[in-house]
Amino acid sequence: MNRRDFLKFSGASLVLWPSASALATTAVVKPKKLVFVMLRGALDSLHTIIPVNDKALHQHRPKLVAVAEKKALSLNTQFALHPSLQTLHRWYRQKTMLPIVAVGSGYDARSHFDGQDFLESGLNKIDHDTGWLGRAIDIQRKSGLAVSQTTPIVFRSAKDVNTWYPTNLKSADEDIYNDLINLYQNDPKLLTKLQEGMETKALVGSKNDKKKNQDKFVSLARSCGQLLNTKGGPDCAMLELGGWDTHNNQANRLTRKLAELDNGLNALESALKETWNDTVVVIATEFGRTVRENGTGGTDHGTASCMFVAGGAVKGGKVLGEWPGLAPEQLFENRDLQPTSSAFSWMSALLSEHWQMSPDQLAKVFPGNSPYPARLLKSYAILN
Amino acid sequence: MQYSHFNASIIAANRFGYGAKSTDNVKQNIDAKAWLKSGLIAPDFDNSLPTSISLRQQLYEYQQQRKKAKKQGKELSKEQKSFPRQTYIRFIDDSFTQVVNADHTIQWRLLDFFSNHFSVTAQSNVLNVLAPTLEREAIAPNLFGNFEDLLVAVVKHPAMLLYLNNERSFGPNSKMGKRGKGLNENLAREILELHTLGVNGGYTQQDVIELAKGITGWSIAYPAKEPDQGFVFREKGHEPGSRKLLSRTYKKGGVEQGELMLKDIAQHASTRHFICKKLASHFVSDNPPKSLLDKLEVTWQKTNGNIKQVMTTLIDAEESWSASLQKYKTPRDFVLSSMRLLPNNKYKGRQVQQVLKQLGQAPFKAGSPAGFADTEADWMGANAVMTRIDLAMNVASRFKANAEQLLATALSNTVSELTYLSVVRAESRKQATAMLLLSPEFQRR
Repeated sequence: MNRRDFLKFSGASLVLWPSASALATTAVVKPKKLVFVMLRGALDSLHTIIPVNDKALHQHRPKLVAVAEKKALSLNTQFALHPSLQTLHRWYRQKTMLPIVAVGSGYDARSHFDGQDFLESGLNKIDHDTGWLGRAIDIQRKSGLAVSQTTPIVFRSAKDVNTWYPTNLKSADEDIYNDLINLYQNDPKLLTKLQEGMETKALVGSKNDKKKNQDKFVSLARSCGQLLNTKGGPDCAMLELGGWDTHNNQANRLTRKLAELDNGLNALESALKETWNDTVVVIATEFGRTVRENGTGGTDHGTASCMFVAGGAVKGGKVLGEWPGLAPEQLFENRDLQPTSSAFSWMSALLSEHWQMSPDQLAKVFPGNSPYPARLLKSYAILN
Repeated sequence: MQYSHFNASIIAANRFGYGAKSTDNVKQNIDAKAWLKSGLIAPDFDNSLPTSISLRQQLYEYQQQRKKAKKQGKELSKEQKSFPRQTYIRFIDDSFTQVVNADHTIQWRLLDFFSNHFSVTAQSNVLNVLAPTLEREAIAPNLFGNFEDLLVAVVKHPAMLLYLNNERSFGPNSKMGKRGKGLNENLAREILELHTLGVNGGYTQQDVIELAKGITGWSIAYPAKEPDQGFVFREKGHEPGSRKLLSRTYKKGGVEQGELMLKDIAQHASTRHFICKKLASHFVSDNPPKSLLDKLEVTWQKTNGNIKQVMTTLIDAEESWSASLQKYKTPRDFVLSSMRLLPNNKYKGRQVQQVLKQLGQAPFKAGSPAGFADTEADWMGANAVMTRIDLAMNVASRFKANAEQLLATALSNTVSELTYLSVVRAESRKQATAMLLLSPEFQRR
């Protein structure tokens, strides 16, 4: 997004959202921002938060682990982060990031779309009309922003939610080229040049598109932070990033993909400025991947994955979640990482601490998943 | 590639001019040749735009202000700074407005031809301001006269003198030469190589030096001292003595020496051959038939290079009326003809300039005194084809045109069934207009 678009949008946002002064009853209340980052496609947690001390890991994925472990960023004696995750690692060292291992949503099949819908609904069943973040902001009379072209399930049923997506990232109209190939059938010179042009465009285009796509999430995350930081801007936002379905060539793809995520998070932090201190970011994915590597340097659909909770408001610096182990008998259905905690209960705990939501309210947001009695945030630690 | 039917009015409009306007009625059965000949009149510009003389005055003031500001450690205001570029844009805006609204365009195509033949690149603040004035002041008034007068007027114009560094070219034996000023061959060389004889036209390095000496002292006014003048002949800088050019001797000195030399080279057989071929190549075909060139040269010789007569011969020649589409439109041609065709076309000079820049043919920015190339091989690159597609889609999305009607106006019965069906069966109005603009029949002429 260029600056002009942002200004255009932020100008509009002043109209869309009531001004801060109109809303704020007491000027001293700090905005407690929440950002939900949804990784679509099932992130391989073992390649992201690497259980370096689990001896079974090397047996399950001799090739993959060798690549990921090489320059891994140590968290504690048990775990290390993938080397692309510089920002997350910095936050961990600054004690503002909590990695959570072996998390599941409770979804027990292996379809991406169902798994994503399940995670967004937060109801222990799929409901396309209402999502957990939407219910939470309705109860809290807060506002939300989806950085996407349409309203994602996580926000559906909410009263005060907007979507935003930059218009200049629209893909080109490809139909015209086919029509022109037909139109030029009796003009061989024009036809040849058109075909050459299309070939070049495909070559250069894919390269440029790759670069553009890598920059895209960073730019979206930065804009998201700027919009959250606008006076009277939304209280929470959802960002999404696809491309995690690494059935092949996982090592290279995740090196790029995790860097893209990490750069985006870094941009989000910068854009939020001081607001970062009152922000919680939750990063989750629909499910995990097989513990054993497959024959094409990748992994297939699994069960438990991981989560990250980060932000200036977070009391971080330790790895949460119970490690189930990777010995064959410890695996879920002898193939997947066993989930040992519920993503919804972690998120419920966050809402409880960050937005001071009561148990009754939380029961409406995440029915059937009560919050873990954890101390995830700094403010909670001070209040109690 | 050729038109599916012969249609003289369509050929007249597209090959000789910049195509039909949306408001034009397609006239069958008109005498296309007579209609074209009635267009051989000097093109009209907006006369309220400043002349090169007043612009040089403004440039002088602009430079004074800039110096002053610099001394004070300040910058010029945005408005002051933009003077050269704004002027450049105003001229482009005017010439495009004239062409888009003109009933006849043969004279505009001819003007563009000679403007490119005597290309001056707007490569500095000064030339951004002055380059567009050359065609208005030196070319348009002489467009249908004799080539020798056109040549002399162009060479004396401040834009050309400045562009090819003749304004400070002084004879080594002149008074000014003795004070250390010297000869600059640049303009003389380009006159022989590009404007008249052509690179293989039979001149030598000695001829270049002789012509350069012949036009020493051909300079421009100092705005502060000579406020109402453009061209100034500085006798004190003119190389004394007689000159010998192409085995002819010029004993008489003064400004007449250079003028006579230019008139003689304008009449030279190589010049006749060079210009007639270039003209036919521009209007009719990248490879014009020899029979056509012969006809043009005969007229040129008979009329001392009268451009109106040569154009009349071009119009009358049967070789000019082939149904084959032998020219691929240059970007300028493509943009101008599209703008004429699309109804209610509101545009700004700046936008036109940007579009032509993207297509590689920004006005007065050829980058060399040779001007822009003019053949299909030069303009039909793969990337250029793709850029035209982007442009057509972009333009088409902004007009709610009835493409079928426009197709009839632009091409009448010359259009192939394939093109007709591609336009009328397009999935949207936008697509239909784009298909029309991108069709072989519209991209060629």
